[in-house]
Amino acid sequence: MLVQDDLLAPDVVRDPYGYFARLRETDPVHWNDRWGGWLVTRYDDVVRAFRDPERLSSDRMAHFQQELTEHDRERLHVLIKYFSKWLVFTDPPYHTRVRMLVNKAFTPTSVERLRPRVRQIVHELLDAVEGRGHMEFVREFAFHLPVIVISEYLGVPPEDREAVKEWSDETSRIFFIRADDPDRRERSQAGLVKLLEYFEPLIHDRRRNPRDDLVSALVQAEERGDLLSHDELLATCTVLLFAGHETTTNLLANGLLALLQHRDQWELLRQDPSLNRSATEELLRYDGPVKATFRWAKVDVELGGKTVRAGDRMLLVLASANRDPEKFPDPDRVDITRNPNPHVAFGHGIHVCLGAPMARLEGQEAFAALVQRFPHMRLASDELEYHPTIVSRALAELHVEW
Amino acid sequence: MRRLRIEVDYHRCVGSSICVLTAPRTFALNEQGQSAVLDPEGDPLEAVLEAAEGCPTMAITVFDADTGEQLFP
Repeated sequence: MLVQDDLLAPDVVRDPYGYFARLRETDPVHWNDRWGGWLVTRYDDVVRAFRDPERLSSDRMAHFQQELTEHDRERLHVLIKYFSKWLVFTDPPYHTRVRMLVNKAFTPTSVERLRPRVRQIVHELLDAVEGRGHMEFVREFAFHLPVIVISEYLGVPPEDREAVKEWSDETSRIFFIRADDPDRRERSQAGLVKLLEYFEPLIHDRRRNPRDDLVSALVQAEERGDLLSHDELLATCTVLLFAGHETTTNLLANGLLALLQHRDQWELLRQDPSLNRSATEELLRYDGPVKATFRWAKVDVELGGKTVRAGDRMLLVLASANRDPEKFPDPDRVDITRNPNPHVAFGHGIHVCLGAPMARLEGQEAFAALVQRFPHMRLASDELEYHPTIVSRALAELHVEW
Repeated sequence: MRRLRIEVDYHRCVGSSICVLTAPRTFALNEQGQSAVLDPEGDPLEAVLEAAEGCPTMAITVFDADTGEQLFP
């Protein structure tokens, strides 16, 4: 019997791994009454669920709408309309069509071309703080890098970046379920409306004056004869902009924290920068940016000896699967040379993170530069505070000095 | 016609299905939900290379079966 069974309890927010490990050992497909859904914590069960999109739906908006009153559905209709077209919240065949349309721009080969530019941005951000001897890493580095990279790739001009980032953060409120944010739905819709109003003229401009950017490519996109509809194009622009923000910020901050807390691994990476690829994978596994992702059962499904009923929701707990000793030897140890490392930090199956190659690239370049340029970096405070959310593993601040 | 040898790295394959959608006569998902080669010459070479490049984890390697030349990556 679990003493603590609350995903947002302060202890669980601070250290979700202990809570998930107890579940994985005692009740790997666990009904969490407080949250009202199943928590799936074993690697094999998580992967099995990811590979079953026909029975386990990602259609979050369909379920979201059912929970709303008629009045709220009307009030949040813009949010529902566009989120229903976001790749992450859709099932085949829509998901397949749009994913295949955008996939080419996010393959490892396509994204690798950005490496020199990503490296340059990393060094510019570090140049700005180097002489000072300290920084708040989340706000001064990890916020900026992903926004700059995805904005440039999409074609958002530098002068608009700040505003777009702010609207994107507002939009995110609905997903990163915070215990302390009662207006999050309204604020989320307001942020999304701003993003839509922003992309509309940008799209029109690229129709007339195509450039070498992703909005232009999407505007021209035609695959197997079907163009994206205008609403689908708008939804896709907003989700691509949005999706890399907070998640990549958390990847960078959690990864740096783990390196600083495991000094031998920091030294290892410093001595051999070519380990930056396997190091990034290991940091994703050890303390990744996303703790869990949702699915809804369309029919009754047997999983880990339990019957998940049609209509039930479940959390596939990536943070637990990635620490499953059945899959990873010595799972609570950070080993930046770990190989193979089949972690599920980016999910698995048809919804595997589209932006994963870009996030990996940013992690690889950032971690390599940090250990090289700041060999004596250390934590400036032992107090760590995480945002109280079910889905993301998000440090509020990370103060470091050198 | 060029004969191909295609290898799938099962430590990397995450079952995205992108190869199956891009070159459906060459790739299929196996019972574990990972990519399996049905017929290395099932689709034109361009489609096979596009499938390999489209893989989000670079799990697919394509060789010329006769010369051993690596065609992707």
